[in-house]
Amino acid sequence: MSEEVAFEPKIVYFMCSWCGTGGAETAAAHHMHYPENITPSRVNCTGALPAVHILRPLIEGADGVVISGCHPGDCHYDDGNFRARRRVALVKSLLDTLGLEAERVWFRYVAHGEGRRFVDTAAEFNDHIKKLGPNPLKTRSDT
Amino acid sequence: MNDKGAVLTAEDGVKDALIGWLKETLKNGVFDAILIPVETPGGDSFAYLLLQDPAILDSASPLPPVMPVQGGKALGRLTMRGRLNRQIAAVVRPCEARAAIELCKLEQANLENVCLITIDCPGVLPLSEYLDDPETSAVRHAGASSAWDRSPMRPTCQICDHFSIRQAPGSDLHIGTLGCEEGTAIMVAGSAKGERVLERTNPPTLEKEEESYSLNGLLEEWAAQVEEMERAQTKTRQRAHADLREAISGTDRLLDLFKDCINCHNCQRVCPVCYCRQCYFESDALKLPPENYLARANRKGALRFSPDTLLFHIGRASHMATSCVSCGACEDACPMDIPIAQVFSLLADRAQETLGYVAGMSLEDPLPLVTFEMDELHDVEQPYVKIYAKQEVQDA
Repeated sequence: MSEEVAFEPKIVYFMCSWCGTGGAETAAAHHMHYPENITPSRVNCTGALPAVHILRPLIEGADGVVISGCHPGDCHYDDGNFRARRRVALVKSLLDTLGLEAERVWFRYVAHGEGRRFVDTAAEFNDHIKKLGPNPLKTRSDT
Repeated sequence: MNDKGAVLTAEDGVKDALIGWLKETLKNGVFDAILIPVETPGGDSFAYLLLQDPAILDSASPLPPVMPVQGGKALGRLTMRGRLNRQIAAVVRPCEARAAIELCKLEQANLENVCLITIDCPGVLPLSEYLDDPETSAVRHAGASSAWDRSPMRPTCQICDHFSIRQAPGSDLHIGTLGCEEGTAIMVAGSAKGERVLERTNPPTLEKEEESYSLNGLLEEWAAQVEEMERAQTKTRQRAHADLREAISGTDRLLDLFKDCINCHNCQRVCPVCYCRQCYFESDALKLPPENYLARANRKGALRFSPDTLLFHIGRASHMATSCVSCGACEDACPMDIPIAQVFSLLADRAQETLGYVAGMSLEDPLPLVTFEMDELHDVEQPYVKIYAKQEVQDA
């Protein structure tokens, strides 16, 4: 078995308390499956997710970070997802400028009822990261 | 930019004319105090003084050869707890005024009773270079300043394209020296506050606009010169940034850049816009139980101590890249000569461009992370185009 096939990415999935986790709940109610190497992590609102919490896993061992919040206009706090979009844009800009593969960060809206979309996002991101290969930072001891 | 202004004439140089004018303002009660860089008694260093005694102004140095303390930081320290109850003037460089404006927007400074006076800035020397030999450095700086030669200045000053305030009406009163004849400078009011100050001070060295037909010509000449130099500087900046990005981008080169970092956090401490009273990177959030470090060492094969160096630098960039004014204070403070200010100016320029913002331009435009547009940044949203799963799972 070659190394690429054996590579199982470590992925952190940040989802908001309202729509993101709701999507996961719907998926569970419908017995849908998503890859087991994905670590879900609930935040109250994606707008409350600090940029550092996206950077920290990327530097310390994750291969990718995916963030899901409510669709525009659906945010429980009215505009948290718009603020999250700005913050993700900032993080992606920093990573891109430093040549650290901004495509390891994904931001996609998932509504409470969209269990299929949640599962698809997890599977699609997993395959996307598998194609990208391991995050070079995760094996560096001098970070 | 407001067209209201005055001509400042001085046979003994712009510095003396400005100091003479400031003395008048203190005597007339226009200002109750002035925050200005002053030569220390030893004569080989400079410090910001909040002075009320006009006699101390004699040793003031509006454009010292170095920037040991960022003026924005000084203003933040002065007004962090609320507005001043008297009017003061702060004589600062354009980058320091921009930092003060950013701090004001972050509610860490209050500029309500502060009149920001900025001057066309030729740049400053690296602090360490100056400290090695203050005397010859001062002479070199004076020569380079009058010729507008930025080559001996700090790398961040060499690529600075905000050395004047032609585009930034942030400062209340700006003193333009570029393109003016020897012994002449123009004072331009950038705000109603600056206009009021100009109206209240009428020393013989100042000619009012209506009395002086030459002011308009001078203003145009100055603006044209500034625009030309700004355009040239922007080109230099873009070229330098492209080279820098080439040199540092990618995991190997980036970690090589920070290999000398000793985690002193000086860059954070001197940064004018790094205002948090408790820094995340010095908080308990990054002081973890030993088993965490063992687990990380196990995963990576080894773990450098102190850990989280890269997280500190990129994380700090995520905190302040939107407010960075490229003043270069961090690089002056770095004991290991890491070109951190150049890296941050690159990160900041690109981040601010992404979010459609330029730091420190005015008090009005909101900070980019506290505002948003409904219809923007769609390239960040990952499109969902198809049912991805290869196999539809029967809904329960």
